[in-house]
Amino acid sequence: MKQLAELKNINKKYGKKKVLYDVSLHIKEKQVIAILGENGSGKSTFLRIAAGIERPDSGKILYAFKNMRTGYVPERFPKYLRFTPDEYLHYIGKINGIPEAILEQRISLLLRRFQLDKWSNRRINELSKGNIQKVGIIQAILQQPELLILDEPLSGLDISAQQELLSIISELKEQKTTVLLTYHEASIFEGIVDQTYYIRDGRLAEEMLTEKQGMKLIETKGFIDSDVEEWKEVLYSEKREDRLLLYVSSKNSNQILMRVLKSGGSIESVNSTDVNN
Amino acid sequence: MKDVIQYSLHDYVRSHKYFPPISTFFVLILVFYTYKPNPIIDSYAITALFLFVISAWLCLSVLSLDSPVQRQLMILHLGSSYRYYLAKLLTVALIAALLTVFAFLYPIIFNMFSDSVSPAVGFISFVNHLLLAVLGIGVAGFFSKMMMESAINAYGGLVLTIILSIAAPGIENILPASFKYIVWLLPPATITQRPLIQWKGESLSGISYLPFLWIMIYAGIILLLFLILANRRR
Repeated sequence: MKQLAELKNINKKYGKKKVLYDVSLHIKEKQVIAILGENGSGKSTFLRIAAGIERPDSGKILYAFKNMRTGYVPERFPKYLRFTPDEYLHYIGKINGIPEAILEQRISLLLRRFQLDKWSNRRINELSKGNIQKVGIIQAILQQPELLILDEPLSGLDISAQQELLSIISELKEQKTTVLLTYHEASIFEGIVDQTYYIRDGRLAEEMLTEKQGMKLIETKGFIDSDVEEWKEVLYSEKREDRLLLYVSSKNSNQILMRVLKSGGSIESVNSTDVNN
Repeated sequence: MKDVIQYSLHDYVRSHKYFPPISTFFVLILVFYTYKPNPIIDSYAITALFLFVISAWLCLSVLSLDSPVQRQLMILHLGSSYRYYLAKLLTVALIAALLTVFAFLYPIIFNMFSDSVSPAVGFISFVNHLLLAVLGIGVAGFFSKMMMESAINAYGGLVLTIILSIAAPGIENILPASFKYIVWLLPPATITQRPLIQWKGESLSGISYLPFLWIMIYAGIILLLFLILANRRR
């Protein structure tokens, strides 16, 4: 699999606060990579640096080729845009050099897929949070990017829009797009994510892929784990700092998730472990 | 570039933020030409100075239009922050050019002058308006959101710089001889006033072009510096 980009020893600080420490990452073509971590861990900064819209204090970003098409969905898409979705997307398409006929077709298709067509003539600053987020997603995928970066893309989206986003990401992946994303909830992305990385206190933790095939890896925090061994659905557990990693068969994962939550714990992430790289 | 300028203009029009600077400019011109007849070169020299101030105001409001995230997205789509900032500056320049046309044609159309405007006077006066507009844009760039976080510092700094640059000849007179050169650091907004007022307007060879050249060099340098610094602050 060809390498699309490489981030080498990225460091970043805002004022006196250091946000990223020597973060390195190889981004391969046609992959969906999840960057997870708590609020303030440096995920969004890392994504902005990977997108090229923010500069690291030190370190290098190497792209496989010049003028790579990068789409970026910010955590909070600007809500005070004075354009209608249709006008805004036309400008974005034209700025990206998409021919008018193709642009027209793409915009109407994407507006329909996200059920935004009925709002396409209302100004963005008059739309709901979820619909604004949809405009944010469309502007990023309009140019069919080689690298798509999504910072908490599910925020405010209804279930059907989440499903639509998921199916678009799968389609883009088929067309060789690499997706770098971050999310909080044990989300619908878990089925399509190829690699998961964790950022803790500005450091990119080791890759959490496991050789245990066909299972779900549930990362939990903050619950009493003394009786976990008695949970017959848990095939294997592992203590890591303040977290407990649970390997369970896919069919039992929902049951375990509920059990963890009922025990007062929190779910940090859920990932498939049946990915070959 | 055309599409980004169109985007910026469209956004600026929708924002209605153009209203205070542009209406102020119209009022200034209308009030200035309340009585007639007026001397041609002197009047144009003054309206060009008005345009210097208004262009700076316009530039500050255009550059503060996009939120930081909106700016980041536009830079990403454009593939370069230089293109983004250049497009913003060109947007202001375009508006300033329209105001130049207004300032130039209004007194001619409404017969506000004592005489007819010769091609030489018209050309030099028009160029003077354009140069001072560009100078105003360049100065305002340094006090924009990209350079200064605080709006109070930005507006305060710009107002102070504009006052100092208009008062430069007076400041130069009261400074001791060894400090007079400091005035050269200030934007040369009034440098063309004296040669213009002393010019009889008979021919293009009767006026010194050095002050005009200095405005061009000064504006060019500060605009270039703005582009470099704005790009670094990303």
